[in-house]
Amino acid sequence: MRKSLLAVSALSFAFALPVQADLHINGFASITAGTTTGSNDQLYGYSNELDFKNESLFAIQVRSDLGDRLSVTAQVMGRGSNDFDARFEWAFLTYELNDAMRINAGRLRTPFYRFSDFMDVGFAYDWLRVPQGVYGLGLDNIEGISLYRMAQLGDFESSLQLLWGSFSGGITLAGSAADARIDNIAGITWELERDWFSFRAAYLSGKSTIEAPALSPLFAGLTQAGLGGLVAALDFNDDTSEFIGLGVTLDQGDWVLITEYNRIDVKDSFFAKRENYYLSLGYRLDAVTPFVSFEREDHRSKSELYQPFVSVLPEALLQPLMAVVESQAVDTKTWNLGLRYDFHPAAAFKVQYSSQKNDLSGHRHDLIAAGVDIVF
Amino acid sequence: MHIRTLIMAIALLSASALHAEPLAIVVHPSNMAELSGDDLSRLYLGRSRTFPNGDSAIPINLAEGMPARERFDERALSRSSAQLKAYWSKLVFTGKGTPPQEAESHEEVLKLVATNPSIIGYLPASQADDRVRVVMQLD
Repeated sequence: MRKSLLAVSALSFAFALPVQADLHINGFASITAGTTTGSNDQLYGYSNELDFKNESLFAIQVRSDLGDRLSVTAQVMGRGSNDFDARFEWAFLTYELNDAMRINAGRLRTPFYRFSDFMDVGFAYDWLRVPQGVYGLGLDNIEGISLYRMAQLGDFESSLQLLWGSFSGGITLAGSAADARIDNIAGITWELERDWFSFRAAYLSGKSTIEAPALSPLFAGLTQAGLGGLVAALDFNDDTSEFIGLGVTLDQGDWVLITEYNRIDVKDSFFAKRENYYLSLGYRLDAVTPFVSFEREDHRSKSELYQPFVSVLPEALLQPLMAVVESQAVDTKTWNLGLRYDFHPAAAFKVQYSSQKNDLSGHRHDLIAAGVDIVF
Repeated sequence: MHIRTLIMAIALLSASALHAEPLAIVVHPSNMAELSGDDLSRLYLGRSRTFPNGDSAIPINLAEGMPARERFDERALSRSSAQLKAYWSKLVFTGKGTPPQEAESHEEVLKLVATNPSIIGYLPASQADDRVRVVMQLD
């Protein structure tokens, strides 16, 4: 409630400013509906009921140039999955050091992926949604400061971003709510682009601390059993966390090939070693772009953490310990088939069929979704 | 009968003229900048904000849907208008840039360019007059 009011007052403030303040107001929206095709299927927040809310969203962005190379940008977004409660997705100051260098400070989008900055702006890409297997980490926004530097290297446009900041907020860990903090986030991303080719690399690291009340009894029990060392190897206590991402885009006009890979690790914790990638191929036929993509999520649980204790620990501790560690395992393969249709200069219709095979459960989940992405 | 033939001839002529007519890239007569095709596309894609000599540059587009705009998008920027819209939405919603301002007519381009040495615009070559300097021609 308070957030919605804030959003409204931010907007009325913006509208009340005199015209000469050089104000840019833009917006985007996605109206998406979907349903799984099998009665037990669940995927990306959808179940076997037609749902218009789950992936729909509205956002308004206001940017004001204050002159002398200073500007402020704020984006307020309401997501259907969050009952359209408006919240500040980002809000930052930009100071242009010169035409090629810029500093942003405030709440920023974490630059994990190729499409991080506009992953919510469906109009900016062909898929109905960014590949969830690769984009599903969360922690999408952080508070901090970043430096951009653009340059021309031979025939390539180079964009370099350095980032420093922190994250704090609620997350879900091993199926229950937890408070997370990631301190000392330092990151570097580099993108090289020429007409038909772009390459991107990202490296981010930080120190993760997670307080999960649901895990306290287990950790207390292990400590009492004299296994304080095991607890330290399981919990998230200022533990070094690393993200490595690579991406390549080949766009020769008709054919568009996009691929991204990432690996994520949190040392001395039960966080699985994650490796994810996708490969997407699209073909532009004037206003229609059909595409096919394949995603792979491979999160290897750290079973080696509990294995030495299998014959030693009482069941009352061993069972929850194994459950917590194995809750991190994910092994899925997803095929997507869909198309984008530019039926209007500012709107695109999309439909996408996704079929995800869960190799741990053996179950397959199928989803059909369609929607319209708009920019204004 | 005659009138119909005449109308058809005019329609054919103007259609082919539209197709064949080159675009003139125009600047203020006092602006002596030399531009390559690459410089031009960098200006209109928001990747550069200066002429090669370092002077500040303000690109002006024709409004969406005007024939010369579509030709410019394809010839100078090698992209369809829909691709450019998606390209700009990426920059706009990351606070990295705003698309060039749009003029509603060829005359407006001429007026804007004639009054500001930083402004660069384009229009069908036959429309360029002595209020502006043609810095490049796109066939």
